[in-house]
Amino acid sequence: MIRSTTIRNGMLALLPFAILLLTVCVPAQTPQATPPPPTAPRTVQFPRPVEKTLSNGLRVVVVQRSEMPLVSAQLLIKSGGEVDPTELSGVADMTAALLTRGTKTRTATQIAEQIEALGGSIASSAGWDSSGATVGVTTARINSAVEILADVIRNPAFKDEEIERLRRQYLNNLKVSMGQPGSIARFAAARLVYRDAPYGHLLSGTPESLPRIKRDDIVRIHDQFYRPDNAILVIGGDMTAENGFALAQKYFGDWAKPATDLPKMSVGIPVSDTKNRRIVVIDMPDAGQAAVLAARTGINRGSPDYFRGIVSNAVLSGYSGRLNWEIRVKRGLSYGAGSTLDTRRWAGSFSASAQTKNDSGAEVASLTLGEISKLATGDLPDKELTTRKASLNGNFARGLETTSGLVTQVSSLAIYGVNFDQLNQFVGNVQAVRAEDVKDFAAEHLNIDSTSMIVVGDARKFLPALQKQFPQVEVIPVGELDLNTASLRRAVSKN
Amino acid sequence: MMRRRFLLTLVACALLAAGVASAKAQTQMPRINFRERTLKNGLHVLSVVDKSSPTVAINVWYHVGSKDDPDHRSGFAHLFEHIMFKSTRNMKAEMMDRLTEDVGGNNNAFTEDDVTVYYEVIPSNYLETLLWAEADRLSGLTVDEENFKSERAVVEEEYRQSVLAPPYGKFFYMLQQKSFSSHPYQRPTIGSIEDLDAATLENVQKFHATYYRPDNATLIVVGNFDPKQLDAWVDKYFGPIEKPNLPLPRVQTKEAERAGEKRFTEYGANVPLPGVGITYLVPSEKSEDAPVLTMLDVILSQGRSSRLYQSLIYQQQVAQSANANADLKEDAGLFDLTAIVAAGKKPEDAEAALRAEIKKLQDEPISAAELEKAKNQIITSQLRQRETNLGKSQSLGSATVLLGDPNRVNTELERLQAVTAADVQRVAKKYFTDQNRYVFFYLPESMRPASASARVQAKGDVK
Repeated sequence: MIRSTTIRNGMLALLPFAILLLTVCVPAQTPQATPPPPTAPRTVQFPRPVEKTLSNGLRVVVVQRSEMPLVSAQLLIKSGGEVDPTELSGVADMTAALLTRGTKTRTATQIAEQIEALGGSIASSAGWDSSGATVGVTTARINSAVEILADVIRNPAFKDEEIERLRRQYLNNLKVSMGQPGSIARFAAARLVYRDAPYGHLLSGTPESLPRIKRDDIVRIHDQFYRPDNAILVIGGDMTAENGFALAQKYFGDWAKPATDLPKMSVGIPVSDTKNRRIVVIDMPDAGQAAVLAARTGINRGSPDYFRGIVSNAVLSGYSGRLNWEIRVKRGLSYGAGSTLDTRRWAGSFSASAQTKNDSGAEVASLTLGEISKLATGDLPDKELTTRKASLNGNFARGLETTSGLVTQVSSLAIYGVNFDQLNQFVGNVQAVRAEDVKDFAAEHLNIDSTSMIVVGDARKFLPALQKQFPQVEVIPVGELDLNTASLRRAVSKN
Repeated sequence: MMRRRFLLTLVACALLAAGVASAKAQTQMPRINFRERTLKNGLHVLSVVDKSSPTVAINVWYHVGSKDDPDHRSGFAHLFEHIMFKSTRNMKAEMMDRLTEDVGGNNNAFTEDDVTVYYEVIPSNYLETLLWAEADRLSGLTVDEENFKSERAVVEEEYRQSVLAPPYGKFFYMLQQKSFSSHPYQRPTIGSIEDLDAATLENVQKFHATYYRPDNATLIVVGNFDPKQLDAWVDKYFGPIEKPNLPLPRVQTKEAERAGEKRFTEYGANVPLPGVGITYLVPSEKSEDAPVLTMLDVILSQGRSSRLYQSLIYQQQVAQSANANADLKEDAGLFDLTAIVAAGKKPEDAEAALRAEIKKLQDEPISAAELEKAKNQIITSQLRQRETNLGKSQSLGSATVLLGDPNRVNTELERLQAVTAADVQRVAKKYFTDQNRYVFFYLPESMRPASASARVQAKGDVK
C-alpha cells in the first residue's frame, strides 16, 4: 500500500536506516538551555561472512543474522553491462532480465506465481561489473526459493516471445525516462565521462540498439559468462553457514564448469583531462526544472585511494555536506544536492548533481563546481571532517541493518574481491583519513578544469548566464540527442 | 505527484501479530512488546526495548496533516514540517542535524493528509540529547523571516521536483485533487506555489500554537535503552510543557458519496505515454472493510503474478506500468487504479482492461491459493518492515495515531489473515460501482482535439 507523503529530505529517505557509534561531545550547561551530553557509547560488531568454493569453482558466501525469520539469496555473475558489444548496448541487461521470464520447465508466469506464493520475490538484472538474480523469502521457504533461483540461472529458455515482450517494455521505459531531465542528464554524463569506452553506454539499451539485439546475442552472453567459475552465491539472514553451504551444494553442485576459458577482458578508460572536458546544455523547452550535473572520471574499486575518496565525497555530499548546505540550506535553490563516487572494476566516476528551477540553472552549476574546487584549495577544519566521517560511518552501519542491505554490501565486496574484514574495518579506515588526504585526493582526482558539466532544461532561462561562465558551451536540442555516441549528437540525415 | 512512500509500513492496516500465520505459513511474527504511558499534559508515550543494535529510533507523531492546512494555504502543514528544523527556543537553525547527522545518526520527517511525523535514528547514548531537542521544538519556534523564506524556496523546489519535472507529476496531482469533492483531502500535501508564496511567519506561529501541543503528540522510542531512565528523561523534558486551554480543531467536513461517474481529461506538454487512472471513494482506514481493501491492493498489484501485471503488462501488453493502491486515510480513502499506456495502444484500451479486472473480482470469488499468496506476501512485507528500530517505531505510531490503539500493531495481521474470498468479492462489489467511479486521462498535447487546442491558444493570448 502506498500513502501520499511529502518528506523533508527525499535523498535521505532513500537510504536504509539505522546504527552508529561515534561520539562528538556537545557541551553541557543548564539542562534546559543546552542539550544534555551523550552517555557512554556502545560498540557494534557486524556479522562476519564465511565462505567456501565448490569443486565447480562457485564461490559461496553465507552471512548469518537471525533476528528475523528472513533470508535473501543472490546469485551473481561477475560480468555486467560492460561486456555489451558496442552496437548492442542493453544485451547483458536483457539477458539477466530474461532469466526470470521462463526456463526449460517453468513459464514466466509460473516463476512469478511460485515464488510469490511463498510470500517471496524474485528479481534479475545486470548492473555494471555484475549480473544476477535475487530471491527473498521467510526462512521456512528458502529451500524452494533457492531451487527456483538455480533454475533461472542455469536453464533460462530465452523464448522469442519473451524477448519481444521485454524489448517493448524496455522501449516504453526509455520513453518515460527520456521525459525526466534528471535521467537524461545521467545518461548523457556517462558519455561525457567514458566516451565510447565500456560504461559509456546505457545499461538498458537505446531506441537504436534494442531493436538490433537478437536471440543469438543473448544466448552468447549466457554461454560465455553464466558459469560457476564466474559466479558467487551470497546467502544472508536467518541461515547458518552449514545449511547455506548444503543448499548451495544441492542446487548448484552439479552446475558444470565449461571446458573453455572465461573470456579475458581488459578495459581501457580515458581519464578526464582539460582537453576532453565539455560543457553541454540539452535543451528541453518543456522541462519543469533544470537538472545540473558535473561529472568526471574517478577511481576504481581496487584503488588504494578508496577510503580517501569516499571521505572526500562525504565532505561534499549528504544532508549537511557542502553541496546541499550551499545550494539547499543556505540559498533555497534545490530540494537536494549531492555527489556520488561510483567505483567500478576498471574505472570509476565522480558526479555532483541537483535539480533547480530553470532560471537558476547557471547559478547552481557555478556553485557546484565552486564547492568541488574548494575541496582542493580551501580549508577543511577538523570539526567538519569529524562530523562528515561520523555521518559516513552511520550511513554504512544503517545500510547493514536489514537482511537485504547486508547481502547487498557483502555481494559488493565479493564482486570486487575485497576482503570481508573490510566490513568490520570500515569505521577504522574512515577514521584514519586526515584533512590533508582529502585535499590531496581532490587535487589529484577532482580537478574542475577537467570536469564536464551538463545542464538539461529550458535553455532560454539559463543559457545566457551559463555562457558567461563557459563561452565554450554546446547546446543540443533534446530531439537531436544521440546517446549511442560520445558526440551526443545525431548525425544529420542526408534525406 | 507527492513523494510516495511504500507503506505497508506506516500502515494503517497490515500490521502483524504474534504467530498469526496460517498453518501452512509456519512463520511467526515476532510480537512488539510496548510500554505505554500518558503524561499529565496529555503526551502519549510508547516504548520498546530492543538491544540488538546500539541505536535508538525516536518518533514524534503530531495528529495534524495537510487536511488541516489553513484556508488558501495549501501545502502549509508540510511547509511547517520543514520549518520545525529551523530555530527553536534553545536551538539554532539546523541544530537537529548537528545532534544527529554529525554523530552518525540521521533525521527526517514526513507529512501526510492526517499526520506529521518527525524521527531520528541515533547512537543510543544520544537518547537524552534528542529527547531534550524534541521537547524544545514542541515548546516553541523562533524562526526568523530569512530562514522562513529560504526554506519556503526549498519546498517550492520540492514541488517542482515532484510535480513539474517528472512526466506524470501533474497526473498524480490531478488524481488527488479531483477525487474529493468537499473534504480537504482534495488539497495535495505539497500544495501550490501561489499558496506557499502567500504563507507568513504569523501563520507559522498560529499553526504551532494550535496543533503542536503535548495532547496532540505521540512520542515513540524503540531501541537500546533503560526503561526507567527513559521515563525519568521524558518527565524531565516533556513534563513541564503545558497543555493549552484552547480547543483542538478537527476537520468536520464529511466527503459526500459520489453521485455518478465523472471523467476528467488533462493535457501536458511533457507526456511520453498517456496515463489512465480510476479512483473509487472508500471508507476510513478504521472501517471493517479496510483490511479487505488492503488485500485487494495486494491481489491486484503486488508482484509479477498479480492480476494487473498479468493482464495489462504481460498478456495484453497494453500498459508500460499498472498499479492499484488502497490509499486509506483517517476520514475517507481512495482506491486507485493507474496505468501508463504502452506505445501504440489507446488509453481507452487501458481503461477497459482495468475495468475488466474489477469486474472479474466482482463476478468470481478468488481461489484459496491466490488468497493464501496475498497473505504470505503481507507477512513477508511486515517482517521486512520490522527489521529496523525505525520500522518498528513507525508501525507502532501508525497503529496508535491512525488506528487509535497501539495494540493494533499486534492484532492487525489477525484481521488481515481472517479475510475470506467472500469478503474480497463483497467489498469489490460494494465500492467498485459505476456510480462511485471517476476516470482520468492524462494525455500529450498532441492528442488534444483541434477545437480544444484553439480555445487554449485564445486564452494564452489574453495572458
